[in-house]
Amino acid sequence: MANGVTKDATARGAMTHPDLHRLDDVNRDVLKMMGPPGKGWWALLGLAATGIGVFLVAWLGVQVPVGIGVSGLNGPVGWGVYITTFVFWVGIAHSGTLISAILFLFRAPWRQSIYRAAEAMTVFAVMTAGLFPLIHVGRLWHAYWLVPYPNARFLWPNFKSPLIWDVFAVTTYFTVSATFFFLGCIPDIAAARDRATGLRKKFYQVIALGWQGSDSQWHHFGKAYIFLAALATPLVLSVHSVVSWDFAMSIVPGWHTTIFAPYFVAGAIYSGVAMVITLVVPMRKIFGLEAYLTTKHFDAMAKLCLLTSMIVLYAYLSEFFLAWYSGEEVERTAFWNRLFGNYWWATWIMLVCNGMVPVMLWFKRVRHSIPALFVISIFVNIGMWFERYVIVVTSLHHEYEPFAWGMYRPSVVEMCILLGSFCWFGFWFLLFTRLLPPIAIQELKEVMPPPMRNKASGAHS
Amino acid sequence: MSRDLAERDDGIKRRDFLRVVGVTGAGATLTGCSTSEVEKLLPYVVADEEITPGVATWYTTVCGGCAAECGMWVRTREGRAVKVEGNPDHPVSEGGLCSRGHATLQHLYHPDRFHGPMIREGEVFRQGTWDEAEQLLAARITRARNPQNTTDGGRVMFIGGHMGPSMSRLVDEFVAALEGTRVDHDAISDAPLLEAARIAYGSNSLPRYDIGAARLLLSFGYDFVESGASPVEHGKGLSRMSAVNDETHTKGTFVFLGPRLSVTGLNADEWVPIRPGSEGAVALGMASAIAGPGGGGPYANLLQAYSPAIAAEAADVGVEAIEELARRFASESPSLALGPGSGAHHRNATAANLAVMILNDVAGNVGTTVHYDTAGAGGAAGASNGYAAIDQATTAMASGDVGVAIVHGTNPAYSLPAASGFREAFEQVPFKVAFASAMDETSALADLILPDRHFLESWGDSAPRPGVMAIQQPVMEAVPMFDSKQAGDALLAVSSRLGNDLGAATFYEYLQTQHRDFAGTTGSDFDEAWRQALRNGVVEFAAPASPTPQLRAPQTALTFNPPVLDGSGDLTLLVHPSARFGGGEFSNSPWLQELPDPVSKITWHSWLEMNPHTGEERGIRTGDIVTVESPHGSLDVPVWLYPGIREDAVALAMGGGHTAMGRYADGSGVNALDLLPAVAEQPSGALVTLATTVTVTNTGTGRRLATIEGSSDQHDRPIAPAVQLALLGEAAEEAEEEHGELMELQGVGGFVPVPAEGGAPGAFPLEGARHGEYADAHEGPRWAMAIDLDKCTGCSACVTACQAENNVPWVGEDQVVMGRDMNWIRIERYYEHVDATQAGDLDVRFLPMLCQHCGNAPCEPVCPVFATYHTPEGVNAQIYNRCVGTRYCANNCPYKVRVFNWYRYTDAVPEPLNWQWNPDVTVRDNGVMEKCSFCMQRIRDAENRAALEEGRPVRDGEVVPACEQSCPAEAIVFGNIRDPNARVTQVVASERTYRVLDELINTQPAVNYLKKVTFHEVVSEAH
Repeated sequence: MANGVTKDATARGAMTHPDLHRLDDVNRDVLKMMGPPGKGWWALLGLAATGIGVFLVAWLGVQVPVGIGVSGLNGPVGWGVYITTFVFWVGIAHSGTLISAILFLFRAPWRQSIYRAAEAMTVFAVMTAGLFPLIHVGRLWHAYWLVPYPNARFLWPNFKSPLIWDVFAVTTYFTVSATFFFLGCIPDIAAARDRATGLRKKFYQVIALGWQGSDSQWHHFGKAYIFLAALATPLVLSVHSVVSWDFAMSIVPGWHTTIFAPYFVAGAIYSGVAMVITLVVPMRKIFGLEAYLTTKHFDAMAKLCLLTSMIVLYAYLSEFFLAWYSGEEVERTAFWNRLFGNYWWATWIMLVCNGMVPVMLWFKRVRHSIPALFVISIFVNIGMWFERYVIVVTSLHHEYEPFAWGMYRPSVVEMCILLGSFCWFGFWFLLFTRLLPPIAIQELKEVMPPPMRNKASGAHS
Repeated sequence: MSRDLAERDDGIKRRDFLRVVGVTGAGATLTGCSTSEVEKLLPYVVADEEITPGVATWYTTVCGGCAAECGMWVRTREGRAVKVEGNPDHPVSEGGLCSRGHATLQHLYHPDRFHGPMIREGEVFRQGTWDEAEQLLAARITRARNPQNTTDGGRVMFIGGHMGPSMSRLVDEFVAALEGTRVDHDAISDAPLLEAARIAYGSNSLPRYDIGAARLLLSFGYDFVESGASPVEHGKGLSRMSAVNDETHTKGTFVFLGPRLSVTGLNADEWVPIRPGSEGAVALGMASAIAGPGGGGPYANLLQAYSPAIAAEAADVGVEAIEELARRFASESPSLALGPGSGAHHRNATAANLAVMILNDVAGNVGTTVHYDTAGAGGAAGASNGYAAIDQATTAMASGDVGVAIVHGTNPAYSLPAASGFREAFEQVPFKVAFASAMDETSALADLILPDRHFLESWGDSAPRPGVMAIQQPVMEAVPMFDSKQAGDALLAVSSRLGNDLGAATFYEYLQTQHRDFAGTTGSDFDEAWRQALRNGVVEFAAPASPTPQLRAPQTALTFNPPVLDGSGDLTLLVHPSARFGGGEFSNSPWLQELPDPVSKITWHSWLEMNPHTGEERGIRTGDIVTVESPHGSLDVPVWLYPGIREDAVALAMGGGHTAMGRYADGSGVNALDLLPAVAEQPSGALVTLATTVTVTNTGTGRRLATIEGSSDQHDRPIAPAVQLALLGEAAEEAEEEHGELMELQGVGGFVPVPAEGGAPGAFPLEGARHGEYADAHEGPRWAMAIDLDKCTGCSACVTACQAENNVPWVGEDQVVMGRDMNWIRIERYYEHVDATQAGDLDVRFLPMLCQHCGNAPCEPVCPVFATYHTPEGVNAQIYNRCVGTRYCANNCPYKVRVFNWYRYTDAVPEPLNWQWNPDVTVRDNGVMEKCSFCMQRIRDAENRAALEEGRPVRDGEVVPACEQSCPAEAIVFGNIRDPNARVTQVVASERTYRVLDELINTQPAVNYLKKVTFHEVVSEAH
């Protein structure tokens, strides 16, 4: 029987563990995760909440009333850790929609087990990223001016500015990915509702939107899901392209380049997949989801990492080559300076973490080793943060006017806000693991063999 | 603004914008001299005739900042002085004003000023009334002069600084009536120069130089642009002398001989890095070569002994260099040799000054470029007394000879080396009185402080040179929160309490009495002549003619050899006046503290200049804190490696290390005088500043310097290019070719670049050019600026002028360290060729960098909220209220001229220092971007005046931005570039015109630069 299930399931594209063969098990295992949390969870949540406290004090308690001067930003370097972290989180936000929407449309066989967590990560990452433009501006209380709204003075934002495009891109992406995430959750929320009691039941009753699992509901659900997937797919490409244009549309040497959009999208997917690995590995361990998240899932994600890492490395190298090939003194200096200038260490962290470490993923043994993947994913996360730091800071600190060159050193407040952003993200993710089914119950069931009455059901069809 | 003007009462005749209103003797200003008045804040129930709300009233006066006595215009608004500017009618400054002049406004409103007379009670001061204070002083003088008093008796001693002729006379009379003594002391002394002039020509005043007339100018280490006898006048002279004539393609040559390049030196075409102290020997060696055997009049024997070879040996340069220079000095007449200045006051400084005078004499420059006044007293009284006098006073004080010491306008407790013993001697005087408007190191020791008025609140006069006299008038009522009294008034009041009648009840009366006679020179009655003098700010009359003086032999023998220095250190210590603080008297001004030093570009703190080779040998890098040790003291100070100083010397500027001057000066930097011995030069008596060698050891610690300098190398970018003089005239053809190439870009849909060189920027925007929302529909002016880099001396006066005009905040040392300096103009200083090891070509480029008001501005499209946009007049405008603070515009500005308000910097400005703010310009909030506005408020003011008063458009020259107004070098021209007759259009038509980075990124700036002209071949293609 067991053999039969495996063979059958493989044939249908599922990649769950061979031990899984009862639909009930799925409900049980997944919904068990949402049960009463242990001390570890509370400890982590407390840590995250503390981090948010530090974050809010640093931002709203210190930076806003005192002035953005509490950061290390200065004359030549007007953008620093905040924009770096903004781009980092927007990048993280990419793989969720990629896995859930694009892989859905392509019917990739390995998405079912991880897409929920990846989608949640997307939504929370955009929620985190969206804070950073607000943190970054000098006058938070006027940040709403970037939104086009009718007013008596006929004052509109400047639609030529990439920052306005950014406002649209990020808000659109957030809206669509949040909707997509929520929509996919509905049947599972209903399943949770059916098991929950008390206050939780009331909560799930409301957000399950009256899901009964009727045929017509499933029909509409499937249509809506595929439409949203189709809508979200171009956004995966557009959001980070637009974010890259924040840089590419300027004339700053090191920013002003046509390669930025694909380069940023590849980098975003790269960092996003790495972040999924980073999040899913402990989740799998803690909740005992080995049956759901197998090495094959990780193998697939590792291959995606490998592919995007090569694209990113190619982009790095072509940037250096073109800077030399252009013959422009300013451009050459900018890139020479990246490698050997004041911020050489950041560039080399970036190159090693993003270009060299993932070379190990060529080896199947590495791809199949969960601890190795976890470590590599951490390297990639660090490398991708530094990639943005290199782009933002090294380009700005040595621009056209040599006399105005300067140095930037992040301040304590910026570091608090950077770390706080991880806590903010972690806080939501922790809540997610307890409040919503972290693995898509209904989609997993779709790829499992239907229950049969006779004992030989596994071999059937 | 325009509505205010329109609704104004037409009954009042408005003055022309540039006409300055004089004050009739009585009225508002006179009451300012009375201290019994009760100050109330009331709106104008009955408006003062002079004051129209919203409209500035201008007064003339004389700058009291230093002994140069430049003429000043002061803009007042609603009875408060808000800006000082140079008076174009004044023959000394001709409209220019230096940074220190601008910063005097900060001393007027300084929060550290005394709120009333301060009477010592034990360790602290108690604020008293003037009646009490004057009574106390009178009583103490009487007590001290009582012959029976053996405990705290003694004579009265008056220690004075620089003062005008009438005040000086009053002091003399005051002291004479009390049978006391008067000593004069200034931090920076010209005594050796004065003494040399007396020895050589019997002149009692400093020589006057006509620098502008010279064809070959030699400076023997004389820093005349920043700290000489008259920085504005001499800086102007340098710019006139060395700027290229675009018609004849000629320019004067400036050679700097000295161990260290000051900002003056950085302007030179050639540098002869002579050994410290060898100026006299070199001058004599040159004079000897020029005069030939037997030449040199009474100094023939001396010249015989100083052959060029001996001079070369002393100076550590090649003999050919000296002979060649001597040959040129004689042939390129009129030539002029200056110096050595106060930075090179060594033990034989008078002889060195005399040597330079001999050199001028043998080259025939006396009477053409250098003038000695032998007829009148001339010069500023008391300005040049040296250290010898104060040394005698110190001895007298220490021996208990002095019963009452009165200090006025000087700060010897700071500006004398600790070794002089002044502080200890002064402390022994039974009763010490200070006339000071704010605390300083000397007043802190006093028993009674009589708060003096600022010169903008006082009456006074000046006689900067024979034939020129100007009245200093109060431009506003005394700042009400400071219960101050002009020193002259206080002296008269104390005199009358002592029963001595000095002929006047107030200093104003006294002053008028002094000038009763000048009515005769103008042929009208006194009141009219007085009003006229106040209105014009200057009275010129025929000076008694001085015959061309004959060189005289010295009565006593002088040593012309380089001096013997103290100690056995391997580096010579050069102590020079600061370009920002002078001798330290300006250190409490945050504007000056934050002004980047014209040479090092460092703000606030002190630094030790050291040659990079010397640093390399010792493992010392920029920012390392070193211990500098002389036989007389030691200091810890950060190093700044500078190729413009000899390898065997290190330099420290004066002016730092105050301990009791106030919130902005105290604790900032070190006092270089702590390393010096208390030695007076003979025979002039000046304090010796080039006196000692030092050892420098690395402490192993370091700091980030508060500098605005990123890189001093242009990195082959077209930023501050130069053109060789010999190639002038050919540049236009090259530009034509280049232009053709750029036009091809248009063919493929690119922007039309404005011709990089030799084009007609008046034809802007060009057909086909796309830029901004307003394109070429607008008929009005397009504002543009031209900056001639061949004229710019890098003196940085424009920086402070801009700061004063536009309420640009200062941010403090830690903020500058972080790279957050706020100045709207930055004088960039790039080294091209600076080599301390060989005599020859020197090439340093100064580039005033301000908002370029690009026609195709990179900052505009990236702003998400249109906070920056292009006005129809071609100005890149910044709307502070609309700014959200994304800082994208600053990132995208290739010139890096946008500055951001990281904090609410204006909150840190204490009352009443905020009174100095220009009411026409808003102060900026936390979190907004700002930058140069081309002084938009001045443009609007000129336009409104032209429209309302005469119904015409503004004329060329009526709009003068603060930087142009202030520039002593006349390097900046502003105007409407659409007007073919405008000055700016004509200047820009030069073949030297270029726009920074324009050919690289096509920003089409409105600021045009004229390339510096060099004699040597310009090495790089790009610059």
